[in-house]
Amino acid sequence: MRFPRITRTIRRITMLLAAAALLLGVPAAAAAHASSATPGTGWIRLAHLSPNTPAVDVYLYSFGNSDAQIVLHHVAYGTVSPYEAVTAGDYSVAMRAAGASASSQPVLSTSVTIGADHAYTVAGMGPEKGLRLQVMDDDLTTPPGKALVRVIQASLKQQTVKVTCGGKTIVPKASFASVSSYLTVPAGTWTMAAIGSSGTATQSVTLAAGTVHTLVVLDGSNGLEMISLEDAAGAGKPPLGGAATGFGGTAPHGPGSPLPWAALIGAGSLLALTGGLRLRRRGLRRQLPAEV
Amino acid sequence: MAFRRPAAIIFAAGLVVIAAGTAGLLLTRHSTPAMRPVAAGLEALPAPTGPIVAPPQSAGPRPVAAPVSLTIPLIGVSTKLIRLGLASDGSLQVPPITDTAVAGWYTGSPRPGAIGSAIIVGHIDTVHGPAVFDRLSELRKGDQVYVRRADGTLVKFLVTAVQQYLKNQFPTQAVYGPTPDAELRLITCGGVFDTATGHYLSNIVVYAAQAS
Repeated sequence: MRFPRITRTIRRITMLLAAAALLLGVPAAAAAHASSATPGTGWIRLAHLSPNTPAVDVYLYSFGNSDAQIVLHHVAYGTVSPYEAVTAGDYSVAMRAAGASASSQPVLSTSVTIGADHAYTVAGMGPEKGLRLQVMDDDLTTPPGKALVRVIQASLKQQTVKVTCGGKTIVPKASFASVSSYLTVPAGTWTMAAIGSSGTATQSVTLAAGTVHTLVVLDGSNGLEMISLEDAAGAGKPPLGGAATGFGGTAPHGPGSPLPWAALIGAGSLLALTGGLRLRRRGLRRQLPAEV
Repeated sequence: MAFRRPAAIIFAAGLVVIAAGTAGLLLTRHSTPAMRPVAAGLEALPAPTGPIVAPPQSAGPRPVAAPVSLTIPLIGVSTKLIRLGLASDGSLQVPPITDTAVAGWYTGSPRPGAIGSAIIVGHIDTVHGPAVFDRLSELRKGDQVYVRRADGTLVKFLVTAVQQYLKNQFPTQAVYGPTPDAELRLITCGGVFDTATGHYLSNIVVYAAQAS
């Protein structure tokens, strides 16, 4: 080791650089996994699915706030509101009789924690005497090329229904005030049917690949009814990876590689050396002919 | 003397090559900075005019007309939208190199203004200079994006986030997965340009949601 001090310094600098790279790398990797929507936004929708309960006013409060963030007036049975985007966090949902004062005691209330990039349905379910608020976690993922369907059974007249998709049973027995799990179905336009003991509802529904649907079975004015909600949609066939959308014309360019020029200088040096040595040799031979 | 000539030529040639190499080396020591537009905002376009549609309802969603053009006033983007599919390797098809001034809508994604995440793709640059999405990374939350549809209606979106991802860590679910509202993802390249492969290492994704 001819220059121990220099070698030690080089080693120290290398370790410092490695440590710095690690410290910078960790937050960089974390940033690369950022969430989709504005960091910290989820979705919530509100529904009235209790057949013999009169219309209600629905209030959404963010935790700790006495002023409602969202108020839906006169929500009647069978209504599902559109999704509202809200900041992720803790909320409470309250239902009051339609037209009741905002400061009056709610008929029902429940708390719900809204996670970022998650969606929720909060519905008044059950018979009027047993009314409850149910918080449903809504699925926002689909298997590639397929659709997801679930059934909310909100018909009191048909205590249980069987639900079929294109003639094939997907929910064999949906009881009143129940929510089925999500079922994967092939993409396509299907006749969905809800079959009860004394009533049937059918509807042609297009289930595109990459979509999530909720079917709600209801007591309509003319018998059993079914509404089809498209909860979410994405690319039916998600692309693989990102996009090759750049050719570098505006990218910064560092100094060109010195290698080709260094190689040229090297080759030139070899040539010059060869030529120069030959010149010297010939010159020497001419100077010292006796030595040959 | 006759025997010295080839040697002399070789020697002289060597000197010339050394001179050329040195000159080349010295002339290529400079760096070119990133080609970024100078006056942001001066090229802003007026917002397009036309009937702005309301966000879609989940109950019985009506089919929406196909997108035909994209306008991003703040960064001077005004382009027709061509239709893109998937490349043979399953990745996103991109606008052709002969037409880097246009953006394209991935037909396998929902239409802009329908429930779900509509995907629009454009180049950041050509080999020589900027392309349609050159200034995409300048967008910030709240900036307006407009899509004109084949029936003449306008869909207005507001930017919700701008992210950059390494292509080998691309978050497929976040970008292409289902959303409950009408959303847009504008995708272009960004980050470090790898001169060895001729590709950027990252993608820039601008998220936007339809404004009610």
